[in-house]
Amino acid sequence: MFALRGLAVSLALYLILYGVLSMLVLWGWGLAREAGKRLLATRLADLLFALRGLPVAAAAVVTLAFVVPSFLLLEPRTSAEPVGEIPLALGACCLLLLGAGAFNAVAAYVKTSKTVAGWLAGATVLPARDSVPVFRIRPGVPALTLTGVCVPRVLLSDAAAAVLSPQELATALQHEMAHAHRRDNLKKLLFRFCAFPGMSRLEAAWCEAEEMAADDAAVASVGDALDLASALIKLSRLAPVHPAAALTTALIHNSPASVNARVERLVAWNERRMPRSRRRALGYPQAALLGTLLGVVATYGAILRDMHALTEWLVR
Amino acid sequence: MNRFFRSGQPAFAQLGPLEQRLMREIWSRGNATVRELLQAGNLNIAYTTVMTTLDRLYKKHLLTRVAEGRAFRYSPSVTQEEMQRAAAGQAIRQLLESGTAASLPLSYLVEAVSEHDVQLLDDLQQMVERKRRELHKQETP
Repeated sequence: MFALRGLAVSLALYLILYGVLSMLVLWGWGLAREAGKRLLATRLADLLFALRGLPVAAAAVVTLAFVVPSFLLLEPRTSAEPVGEIPLALGACCLLLLGAGAFNAVAAYVKTSKTVAGWLAGATVLPARDSVPVFRIRPGVPALTLTGVCVPRVLLSDAAAAVLSPQELATALQHEMAHAHRRDNLKKLLFRFCAFPGMSRLEAAWCEAEEMAADDAAVASVGDALDLASALIKLSRLAPVHPAAALTTALIHNSPASVNARVERLVAWNERRMPRSRRRALGYPQAALLGTLLGVVATYGAILRDMHALTEWLVR
Repeated sequence: MNRFFRSGQPAFAQLGPLEQRLMREIWSRGNATVRELLQAGNLNIAYTTVMTTLDRLYKKHLLTRVAEGRAFRYSPSVTQEEMQRAAAGQAIRQLLESGTAASLPLSYLVEAVSEHDVQLLDDLQQMVERKRRELHKQETP
């Protein structure tokens, strides 16, 4: 009974925190969307990824660092206190949510693996230019895409190789390499684990920002930017936009409006707008996190007592 | 929206001029009684004509009504956007059913949609080429 009560309370609080934080993130993003457009694409993509992961990470940290220890340390083991209907119901909902997330992720992984295996039938490996191997595939669609969650591979169709000039192909491949180095397919898989209604808007914005971040990473001069813009246009003509496999990243995967926005951005490319590699020793967020950690360590006992009081309230 | 197709409700263009006018009035107000529509001063029509027309729109399932005293308060059962979408859907359906080969009109439609994208891509290509020329000029003074 003690273990069941502990599990139910921990899962219930996880669910409450996850739900409230997810709603706060969605509300906050709705307010800050316009301001986000002024950020560099890489920073915006990182920010969106952090926002998307914040509810699940924060709920897990609070549950594991505070809820579970407070229950184990402060709850009498011999108590005949019942589990309570609310924690049981919320705990069951939490298990359902976690199960649905896991199923969603596994299903997407299996489906993508099958699709990619079909694309790779009869493929040949091109001489390595980067740590990520490039495969020449026979199907015309996808024209150029990055597959693989843990072991990334770039797939290039014969048709795409034929229509792109060597410079265009080089920048387009650089674009896919940037996605590989940023582990975008792995991030997409992680999103599947933590589903929440309305988060698809945030994921779509992240996807858009990642494309622009990869464009920036692939380009080092105005000439490169024009080559990549030209590659985008040529591949848009070659293969119409189609629903790609879930855990892949294609050069062209969005609406014509998105291609339009990216091409216009590349045509207006300016070296001064690119992020500098210089990093500050300690930024405000890191300092705030350090301060919070120190505060938590100093008041850990009191936090556990308050947390236990909260769980008691939930059980009653 | 599918209700239109299933029950054979008319599209906006198939309504008479007065019916269209009254639908617009009710969409703009949200709901109205006959008296309210006449008091607004936009309609110079007899009370009974408005009442009969609204009753006809109600029977065509385009309006709903609730009793309010001795009169009815009418509200639209479809939005203006739904009505337009239904009309577009009906037009496409007629187009698809018009030919002996059903795929032929559909291919026209795909072509029409694709043409928009092709035009967009042509414009983008021209923009890139223009920028290339500018860059080339700067590099070779």
